[in-house]
Amino acid sequence: MSAPEDLRKWRLPRGRHGLPRELVTRSQRERLLAAVVRVTATRGYEATTVADILEEAGVGRESFYELFADKRDCMLAAHAILVEDLEAKVRAAYAQTGPWQERVTNALAAALEWFAADPAAARFTVVELAAVGTVSRTRFQDAFARFVELIDEGIEIDGAGPELAQATSLGVGAALARIYEEVVLERTSELPALLPDLTYEALVPFLGEEAARDERERAAAIAR
Amino acid sequence: MAEGAVGGRRHASAHAETIQLMQKHQSSGSGSSVLSPTVPTDIGETSQRHRIIEAMIESCAEKTYAATTITDIVSRARISRTTFYKRFGDKRSCFAATVDFCLAELQGAAREAYSPADAPPEAVRQATVAILAQMAARPAMAQLLTGDAVSVDPGVVVRYRKILIPALEGLWENAGLPASSYIDPGLAFSRAQLLVFNQTAAGHSDDLLVLLPDIVYLAVAPFGGHEEALAQARLARSANGKPAARR
Repeated sequence: MSAPEDLRKWRLPRGRHGLPRELVTRSQRERLLAAVVRVTATRGYEATTVADILEEAGVGRESFYELFADKRDCMLAAHAILVEDLEAKVRAAYAQTGPWQERVTNALAAALEWFAADPAAARFTVVELAAVGTVSRTRFQDAFARFVELIDEGIEIDGAGPELAQATSLGVGAALARIYEEVVLERTSELPALLPDLTYEALVPFLGEEAARDERERAAAIAR
Repeated sequence: MAEGAVGGRRHASAHAETIQLMQKHQSSGSGSSVLSPTVPTDIGETSQRHRIIEAMIESCAEKTYAATTITDIVSRARISRTTFYKRFGDKRSCFAATVDFCLAELQGAAREAYSPADAPPEAVRQATVAILAQMAARPAMAQLLTGDAVSVDPGVVVRYRKILIPALEGLWENAGLPASSYIDPGLAFSRAQLLVFNQTAAGHSDDLLVLLPDIVYLAVAPFGGHEEALAQARLARSANGKPAARR
């Protein structure tokens, strides 16, 4: 993995530059958010200090506290942006035209690609969030519910048998449990290879054995 | 499922443990006189450890592990700081012991739930029902195992996997049945854990049993396949007596 770009290269020049205050603040904010993700993913949330974030971002302490109340506030702001981005990518993949089962496969593929593309962000998003305290429970639950709702909205088939109350949750849960474990085991970049099995797991409650196997084959072709 | 019965068994088992300890001491003692003391001194230690663990479970449920302090634990357990440090070196090792305790409770419940004569799908369903009933009776324990345990040590998912796979595999192998699915058995616990955590995070920890059919499905599917898993989910749902509500 190539070393991440030095965020301090994005610092605005010192001295009088006549740039609007808003732009300066935005530059600082962006660097701080990128920094909190990197530092937390490496050291863990508990061990991360505001000083570490400032060092990584090349931003002064005073500016930090003008933008964020504390480390947790900064972490939660970065987390919200990441989850929003993930959701947008998944939503876009799911919105493509085609049979429902293919759209589910596309959405899964988009999620796996998103996590694999940036292992630090992946770790930050699914593992480190839990360390911030009770608010992480709400955060997690909200995001989970939104993904379930997204997939539920578009269901074009009769749905799973009445035996299962939460078939969509099972699918979303299958993907998330898998992603979580791969991230913990530091195999994040290999996630896209899991598309066939996850497609099968997500769809089998809805389609039954035979059709889910067919979808698995199709997904294997996409995953190369 | 009678929730009271499960909670009652938990206390009963703690009590039984104490009695067992006393009997062990009685039989091993030289027993020279009817007046020889029989109450062993380590009963106090066991009871203190138990109270501390209970306090940890409750405090984590209320404010998460990260926000829990030693002060919270000692005041809940009504013991002194010194006693805490005598029993556990620090907060982290106390937490590790708490996770072990909770896992042992669930494993115990699962083992009592079926007999070796049961067919694997039946056995898995019954063990799952027992585990979920145990969690429903102790929502704080469910929250600890599915939330804090994972955030304190993400590697715990690997440990869950190591407990679960051999247990499931053993059941199926003993019956001479091959695995018949693409579903990874190691993830069954993580997936169930997510559903339980999601349910407790949504504030519905009092209603964990609605998850029963789905979790039975998760537990059976990796080896029994989709159709068998559905059949077991159906049985679990009718035994629980609640219609499935779509979510």
